[in-house]
Amino acid sequence: MSSGASQPLIEFKGVYKTYDNGTKALSDVNLRIDKGEFVFIVGPSGSGKSTFIKLIIHEEKLDAGEILVNGFKMSSLRKKEVPLLRRTMGIVFQDFRLIPTMNVFENVAFPMHVVGASKREIRKRVSYALNLVGLGRKARSLPRELSGGEQQRVGLARALVNKPSMIIADEPTGNVDPNMSYEIVDLLTEINRRGTTILMVTHEHQLVRDFDRRVVMIETGHIVADNAGGVF
Amino acid sequence: MKARSVRYLIGEGLKNIWLNRMMSIASVGVLMASMLLMGLAIAFSENVDRIMSTIESQNVVMIYLDDDLSDEQVQSVYEQIRSLDNINPDETIYISSSQALEGVLETMGPEYEQYFDAYFGEGNTILPETVRASMIDLEQYDQTISAIENVDGVDSYDSSRDLAVILTTVRSAINTAGIWMIVLLSLISLVIIANTVRITMFNRKLEISIMKAVGATNGFIRFPFMVEGITLGIIASLLTVGVEYLLYKVAIRALEPIISILSFNPVPFSNFMWIILLIFLALGIIAGLIASVITISKYLRREGSEFSAL
Repeated sequence: MSSGASQPLIEFKGVYKTYDNGTKALSDVNLRIDKGEFVFIVGPSGSGKSTFIKLIIHEEKLDAGEILVNGFKMSSLRKKEVPLLRRTMGIVFQDFRLIPTMNVFENVAFPMHVVGASKREIRKRVSYALNLVGLGRKARSLPRELSGGEQQRVGLARALVNKPSMIIADEPTGNVDPNMSYEIVDLLTEINRRGTTILMVTHEHQLVRDFDRRVVMIETGHIVADNAGGVF
Repeated sequence: MKARSVRYLIGEGLKNIWLNRMMSIASVGVLMASMLLMGLAIAFSENVDRIMSTIESQNVVMIYLDDDLSDEQVQSVYEQIRSLDNINPDETIYISSSQALEGVLETMGPEYEQYFDAYFGEGNTILPETVRASMIDLEQYDQTISAIENVDGVDSYDSSRDLAVILTTVRSAINTAGIWMIVLLSLISLVIIANTVRITMFNRKLEISIMKAVGATNGFIRFPFMVEGITLGIIASLLTVGVEYLLYKVAIRALEPIISILSFNPVPFSNFMWIILLIFLALGIIAGLIASVITISKYLRREGSEFSAL
């Protein structure tokens, strides 16, 4: 789906990142992800996938090069701009990270409180997001009353409730059964179809092959392949 | 920050207090202990001040004369004392030994007269002739006393100033000890509140990591913890004023006999209640605020990131 006419959402230009303990996480990474794309980030453990994500959300700072995310220049991003950057994205975690004392509705509404949304907006958006992930009837349930797949769908609803321009999903199928994995990616595909850029980190090769999307492969801190159509 | 966010965060802070109620109770308890000590020191100080002003308003010196003086000599001594500088002649009176006995019997009860008669012989008394003199200016106390001592025929004197000196010493000792105790207890309170906030923080690690991931500012994350600290401080202040009111009432009742001897009216609690409440509120709010801000800021600086936080 990437095209020259499209607008870039994420751009890595000659990015280097080495941790304090000497581990070289990323070396000379160059990459462009356009608005509206669905990209799988694949690679073995320790390849630099997590660092790649951490740099995008500015949990880690780059050593050299430049990263542009949604118009934010990461090399010169000020501390107080970090929350503004993060409000442009939704994050889905492998371990769901739902708050156990809050019900489904409250969990999904949580990011909306952070941006100071009104009660009316919260009701409207949360209902929309829950219906989109097929959990409209479970709004009052607590996380422990849901299956792994359902919990991850709540996580998805929470990620998209603030209408982010992109969703970053870090191994979203890692803790759900294989059938549910496909449902999760189906949902992400539907969200992508409605205009949200999706960046999904995974190591499930079969899943990647079955969905016909762009695949970026990282190994030992380098991008070793960047193919369209689920090829790697 | 929007008003509705503030409302939401205040609600979250209050909810935290309930969710960590055991630690909240411990924090309030320790804060109350330190505030109570401070409040009792203030109550004591207020009452000592009142006793002192009662004493000072009297400015009285009881001057006892030699036993073997004739009536004329007594009269002469009395006149000399009245004419001294800094002695108010209009408020200076002569009390004969028999009048002094009458006074004693008035206090002890007339039935004691027979014992005095049996002991000293009817009509006799060993109580000295006395001049009750009143000073105009207490600042000149020492000079006036030495002038009195220089009058021929004066045996000894007794002044309520001695009691005032003792009370002043006790008050300053209590104030000094009180200040150190308050400093120490304030530090302990700070640590306890900081621990309560820290426990809440670890309980809410997940929420904090999600908050940061969805773009919450540090101020937004910090707010409920500040609400928690401040609320604990306010609860402790209000409870302490209530407890101190009851303790003060009980103490006054228990000390009734001593108070009547000193012939002074204890300062009503309402006279210093507002000062105490204001001091407590300030102490509680500051302790709560400092403890929560330090704890959470330290956490947000060191940890609290999205993927590695849990």
